[in-house]
Amino acid sequence: MSTPGADEGTTASSRRPEGRSGNTFVGDVWVNFKRWNLKAVRNPFVLVVSLVQPIIFLVLFTEVFGNVAGGAVNQGIPGITYETYLVPAIAIQVALAAAITSGVGLVNDIENGMFEKVLVTPMNRTAVFVGKTAAEVFRIAVQIAIIIGLGVVLGAKVVTGAVGVVGIVAVGVLFSLWFVAFSNALAVLTRDQESTIIGANLLQFPLLFLSSAFLPLEALPEWIQAFARVNPVTYGVDAARSLMVDQDVMTVIDVSWFGGTLDGVVPGVAVLVGLDLLLGGVAVSLLSRASSSDVK
Amino acid sequence: MSPPGPESNVQSVPGTERTGPLATESAIDVSGLELVYSDGTAAVQGVDLTVPEGEFFGFLGPNGAGKTTTIKVFATLLSPTSGEVRVNGFDVRSEARKIRESIGYMAQETSIDPELTAEENIRFACEAYGVPRGQRSERVTELLDLVDLADVADKRAEEFSGGMKKRLDAATALVHRPPLVFLDEPTTGLDPKARNRLWDYFRRINDLGTTIFLTTQYLEEADQLCDRLAVILDGRIVAEGSPSDLKREVGGEVLDVELEDGPDAPSRAVTIAREFDAFADASVSETEDGISVTAETVRQHGTDLLVAFRDAGLTVTGFNIRAPTLDDVFLAITGEELDADDTEATR
Repeated sequence: MSTPGADEGTTASSRRPEGRSGNTFVGDVWVNFKRWNLKAVRNPFVLVVSLVQPIIFLVLFTEVFGNVAGGAVNQGIPGITYETYLVPAIAIQVALAAAITSGVGLVNDIENGMFEKVLVTPMNRTAVFVGKTAAEVFRIAVQIAIIIGLGVVLGAKVVTGAVGVVGIVAVGVLFSLWFVAFSNALAVLTRDQESTIIGANLLQFPLLFLSSAFLPLEALPEWIQAFARVNPVTYGVDAARSLMVDQDVMTVIDVSWFGGTLDGVVPGVAVLVGLDLLLGGVAVSLLSRASSSDVK
Repeated sequence: MSPPGPESNVQSVPGTERTGPLATESAIDVSGLELVYSDGTAAVQGVDLTVPEGEFFGFLGPNGAGKTTTIKVFATLLSPTSGEVRVNGFDVRSEARKIRESIGYMAQETSIDPELTAEENIRFACEAYGVPRGQRSERVTELLDLVDLADVADKRAEEFSGGMKKRLDAATALVHRPPLVFLDEPTTGLDPKARNRLWDYFRRINDLGTTIFLTTQYLEEADQLCDRLAVILDGRIVAEGSPSDLKREVGGEVLDVELEDGPDAPSRAVTIAREFDAFADASVSETEDGISVTAETVRQHGTDLLVAFRDAGLTVTGFNIRAPTLDDVFLAITGEELDADDTEATR
């Protein structure tokens, strides 16, 4: 981050306190990664809550809509159960729900003074945020793995096997990053826990329902289809679902570069990476402005 | 918990040895510091200041005087609008990272992670400040002892009282044994007992050679702790010196007179005292229950003033002659700001 003096070298000096061995970028990332993981473990409530809602969705949707939706789903992807269809969507939902808490953590840090405290340390500021985000991504990956496991127990099938599971987790992580950035941006702008939670949560359901998450686009009204085409959730779900069923089921972008599953995965991933970079850039510039304060 | 014995852990407490070529330089060197916020507020308007190494320096002023803004510039949290600022010999603009490595900073608002234990908070600070791995455990133990939190080391900080949180916060600012520590109103909002305890720690750290820069709005705190102080008002330093220097500048001794309640008794008394020839150079002000007169001559002419009050029909219920306190200094200085012809108080 472009704060004055944040990244200059740490050459030896006669004023260096004797109790220091110095900081490294990787070391600073690790220190922050550890703190945020510790906080997550201390707050099992947050972990559980961000898993509970997706699990309820997974169980209720498959049980209640399974028979009805199964028909619609089968028209697009023959021989698929609704469980198998739904698991990639719930994986994306987990990523979305967990990413919201990232901004909440930042607001808490600002409120309890840790944000400023960290700014006064010699830690590299970019490393500080990389460490925090890494801890959140780690948590999201674990939660998605749990959801896939639960889905398999309920009868879903990952056609691509273990590689596919890793792939779906990776897609979920890529998907989560833009929302992590978004919730941090909200946090810096509002500096208020409730506004951050409400702001991010309000978006969660429209994003999920106005996408290919729960039903194939063809089964949805025109206006929803139109929205779904520009909705990041559609890209994340379609990429994850392609991996799940080992077919190109990307509904929005039609390519045939690889001739198979990757035609469904690569375009979705490309869109997500672009979105991550865009919103990541916005969040980084907001954070950097917040770090270097409001001075002429 | 009982207050710590004065000798506990003294040898192992954060401190520094200042040897080497720069040993005689100042810890803080400031000239012409100005800071204007983006909304146009000029929070600091031309501060010049030098704090030698090892000094316990106090920055005294009311809310909004510019204390926190100044300390944040020193701690590299704010960039100065203009002026030269060197902290531990490093320039705040181009060598911020070196300053961060060599200072401890305790913000006005208690800054700790409530979800972590006392020990984890200190350990995080050790890692953040690059304390060598092999020394961390020892440093954590040492600091928990210093601030008397060893018996609650494994409790989460959110369970602590305000005073305990402040002590933990102070400990985290010392993990890297910085030669210079900034304390921004460290005892605001604490009860007298907790305040006294913190004062004890600060004195101990300073005794070991650490330079301390403290801001406060408590005159008593400045008087108790500081070798030297600067009084800041509206972003400018209006007086500077040791507490006794400043008291001397008030000029003479203070006569406090208590008056019986009556329609504008204090204001009538002020008028009488100001017209009194012997107190032509005195500084006269209303107090809660009477007036106070500061002058070289209060011992010789105090009784005459009391007689004059009686003649004017005012009932004196008590009086007292005392040495000036920093409160008087402050009153004299702020009084001068408001009332330009009262020149006696601040030279």
